[in-house]
Amino acid sequence: MTRRGLASAALLMGAFTAGAPALASSLRVQLNADIRSTSPGVNRDDNTDAVVLHVVEGLVAYGDNAEVKPLLAESVAVSDDGRTYTFKLRKGVKFHNGAELGSADVLWSWQHYMNPKTEWRCLAEHDGRGRAKVEAVDAPDADTVVFRLDRPSALFLANLARTDCGMTGILHQDSVKPDGSWDKPVGTGPFRFTEWKRGEYIRLSRHEAYASRDGGPDGYAGSKRPLVDELRFIVVPDSSAAKAGLLRGDLDVVPNIPNADVRELEKEPKVQLSISTNMGTVGVLLQTRDPLLANVKLRQAIAAAIDTEQLVAAVTEGLGKRNNSIVPLTSRYYGAVEAQGYEHDPATARRLLAEVGYKGEPLVLFTNKRYPASFEAAVIVQAMLAAAGINVRLEVLEWATQLDRYNAGNYQMMAFLYSPRLDPALSFDAIMGPKDKQPRKVWDDPEAQALLDRAMVVSDPAERQRLFDELHRRFIAAVPMLMFYNGIDPGAVSRRVKGYRSSIFSKPLLWEVGLAD
Amino acid sequence: MKLPAPNALLGSVIVGGLIIAAAVGAVWTPYDPLAIDFKARLAAPGAAHWLGTDEFGRDVLSRLMAGATTSAWISLLTVISAIVAGTAIGVFTGYVRGWADRAIMACNDALLAFPGILLALGLLAVVGANPYGIILALGLAYTPSVTRIVRGTVLGLREKEFIEASRVLGNSESYTMWRHILPNCVAPLTVLATSMFGWVLLAESALSFLGLGVPPPAPTWGNMLSAARPFLEQAAWLGIFPGLCISLTLLGINLLGDAVRDRLDPRMRGI
Amino acid sequence: MLRFALTRILMAVPTLLIVAVSVFALIRLIPGDPAALMLGDLADPANLAELRRKLGLDQSLAAQFGIWFGHMLTGDLGTSITSGQPVAGLVLAKFWISARVVLAAVLLASLVAVPAGMIAAWRQNSLTDLALVGTATLLLSIPTFWLGLLMLLLFGLKLGWLPVIGYVGFAEDAGRALLYMIMPVATLFLHEIGVLLRMARASTLEVARLDYITHARAKGLRESTVLWRHAFKNAFGPTWTLIGIVLGNLLGGIAVVETVFTIPGLGRLLVDSIFARDYPVIQGCMLFVAAVYVLVNLIVDLCYPVFDPRVTAE
Repeated sequence: MTRRGLASAALLMGAFTAGAPALASSLRVQLNADIRSTSPGVNRDDNTDAVVLHVVEGLVAYGDNAEVKPLLAESVAVSDDGRTYTFKLRKGVKFHNGAELGSADVLWSWQHYMNPKTEWRCLAEHDGRGRAKVEAVDAPDADTVVFRLDRPSALFLANLARTDCGMTGILHQDSVKPDGSWDKPVGTGPFRFTEWKRGEYIRLSRHEAYASRDGGPDGYAGSKRPLVDELRFIVVPDSSAAKAGLLRGDLDVVPNIPNADVRELEKEPKVQLSISTNMGTVGVLLQTRDPLLANVKLRQAIAAAIDTEQLVAAVTEGLGKRNNSIVPLTSRYYGAVEAQGYEHDPATARRLLAEVGYKGEPLVLFTNKRYPASFEAAVIVQAMLAAAGINVRLEVLEWATQLDRYNAGNYQMMAFLYSPRLDPALSFDAIMGPKDKQPRKVWDDPEAQALLDRAMVVSDPAERQRLFDELHRRFIAAVPMLMFYNGIDPGAVSRRVKGYRSSIFSKPLLWEVGLAD
Repeated sequence: MKLPAPNALLGSVIVGGLIIAAAVGAVWTPYDPLAIDFKARLAAPGAAHWLGTDEFGRDVLSRLMAGATTSAWISLLTVISAIVAGTAIGVFTGYVRGWADRAIMACNDALLAFPGILLALGLLAVVGANPYGIILALGLAYTPSVTRIVRGTVLGLREKEFIEASRVLGNSESYTMWRHILPNCVAPLTVLATSMFGWVLLAESALSFLGLGVPPPAPTWGNMLSAARPFLEQAAWLGIFPGLCISLTLLGINLLGDAVRDRLDPRMRGI
Repeated sequence: MLRFALTRILMAVPTLLIVAVSVFALIRLIPGDPAALMLGDLADPANLAELRRKLGLDQSLAAQFGIWFGHMLTGDLGTSITSGQPVAGLVLAKFWISARVVLAAVLLASLVAVPAGMIAAWRQNSLTDLALVGTATLLLSIPTFWLGLLMLLLFGLKLGWLPVIGYVGFAEDAGRALLYMIMPVATLFLHEIGVLLRMARASTLEVARLDYITHARAKGLRESTVLWRHAFKNAFGPTWTLIGIVLGNLLGGIAVVETVFTIPGLGRLLVDSIFARDYPVIQGCMLFVAAVYVLVNLIVDLCYPVFDPRVTAE
């Protein structure tokens, strides 16, 4: 290309970039992969939830500290036997099509979700297969909805608010076509679904009549005013390209940059960072049914050989904080007991290895490259164990292959990431269970399981704290997995963006976020 | 005997140096290529680490030397197996023609039409993520190209006078094939083989980049190159050195390949 | 000629059959399960079994193949597991996006590389030759994901001439679409130059030694006439074959470029589908790519006699 050609191309480009955004304020957000559908809690993944939860809202939602708070409900009352939940709806809430929210919409939405044809992923939590069955849902008047359960459950509201369940978002019936098939989400969220160009972008526009709660932003609850005319989620799979796009001004928000880029972007005048700790867990699973690893002393030796502090500092570039507990750092249940982790002590490791009679038998540690943090942790674990005389071979698998082995329990050691669970009981539930029935379960201990079952039912925080403390002590002693830290999300946004904060949910929240001129 | 052409000389020097580096790397490296040093992460090239360190504080020079060994024998075995298999099939089908040719070429085209990504992923998943898996996967992926090129050459040669002559003289088909057709495939094959070296060195890095690769934990130039990409601005040396190694190797092999071809090409004799 | 073309098209049928069977078998040999991937680490066995049943994954492999193959014969490639879209439409739409980039890159690369390769051959062992071969080798040894990133940083970020994120279709705005195509095409172009230049050089060297070139020279023809009229035509044959192979490979290998430049093309679709184990899309993509490949090579073979008079079409 000639110099003149390039110059005119540059001129053209200048004209375009200058012309476009003047009409409407548009916030451009990176998505690392396209969404799967627009239907809340159906055929979804993290990206899908992130987008859809800007469009729909549930009766209750998670706040910043992972507590469940009313959202579309004005208030929630629980009966003394813990089996009846009465939701009072807020007045003046409008759907995107202008209709006003009423109890009939909640009933319709519930029927939509409970219809097996919808394939709602959380159906099993409520239809009797889970801990508590929803026996009846009534609407005594236009502003009241009553749910009746067959038994008390500490997690009923938490399940309704779950992001992977699409927050059990209340939909208008216009969301489905006359034949009952899914069309597009018509909800009450701060943004309206406008356009989805598959593989390219999703466009949401401001819901002018959005009825916001007061009290400032608070996770998925709280005030959620839309401050820009349009949200544009742009699919950019390569993180280096996303970084270039941010620096050039083609993107405004990159929700999760690689940890390794943090130090570099800190120095960029055009960019500001917001770093949060999420409730996901980064660790290494140990197969307790493996002939070698079945010996708890070997597992303890492995734990003693790891310097968690140093590992976390290296993997997160000093941004993350060590946490050997399944209870997330940001949880209200994370206390003095949970802060007691493995003790790094090479002498103990050597002593335990001698007691076990370990003679350098090889162990295989699986990892993958999809999650860089998990891969780096595995490389460091391998080196630290090698220094302690434990012979570990690293094997890198493609993610789907690793997940297959995870579900089948077919591994010795595996670097793994659990996505955020917003209640410690759910975090423990992710790893605990009978291996005979569910080979993917990591920690199979009937006594501990009884403690967890209790934590699922009781609502009293003091009682739950006691249960989680006890679970943590047993977890540290049994070493069914090495837990290192809770995932961190370093979000990078352009200086033009006002009010963006990385959330504990590992997803961008783009209400109450504005653009300076 | 004439002095070798300057190109050939340069090629020999480069390839020779490479072989020495690979041989030394197999027995000794300045540091353990897998040893992590948290105090020296992303250290720039200097006195302690001549070529700097990577994001784990591992010595880049040591990894390059260890990688030379791994990369060299993986790519050598891959190229050799692809060339041998592809030439055998190509000469056979190009010469015999008929239904055997059609059947084999249908399979060959099917294999060619298979994007290498899927083939490599599939075979690596089945064989296992080890160097042999890579050799098998990439060897299989490149064989059909060799077959096609060789067959094309053979089709072009069949009609030439000296082949006709050999036949008229009563030479057996296999003799004609060996004596007259094979040597004439050498020129296009040297070119393909030298290109293939590059592809093999880079294929695993491309697979890694897409997230489909299953790199072995031992360093190779290819996986060093793809692992270095996020550090382009912070630590350019991480990518530059393995990249330079690959470039130099390819240049050396190319130049040497040309010289080898000139020696083997029947028409060059006596000139 | 017509008979040859017809035979070749008929011969493509078994090729495509082999592809169909082996793709089906290979992707099921690879561990991983689309249902498990959809549910991720939150999968409980009941949900998993239900989803598998819904996707038809609980049936025997033979039954699954039968269903897919039967539908395929009626022209129905199925629907995507992840997006629910019909596969045929999806693949076709993505193909046009990728094909534009690939065709432009290979065309440009051939235009530059073939003459350059011939010049290198003509000046064998000269400094020009070494410089050209050196450049080609350097280009060949830079992975496209590095080259692409360097371009993004230079032309996108440092100079600010070209956009780095997003994609614009030709139907929307042809001018901007062209602008978005510059870097991906340039990246592929530079890479392919490396391959093609060296092939053209080798073929020319080959031809230059043949007797009739010597004759032509002996007749006192001008060097340039010898080069273009006699050498070019013959040297182009093997290069032409390679162009066919390169085109076919690129369709599969363009995924890297599409990832760097956020182009929603066929390569990206294939890679994403492999990640998600979206069986119908992988199968559809592969069959389609195979069909295109066969077609491209048929055209290459039909053109071969044009370049090399010694080969007659069968």
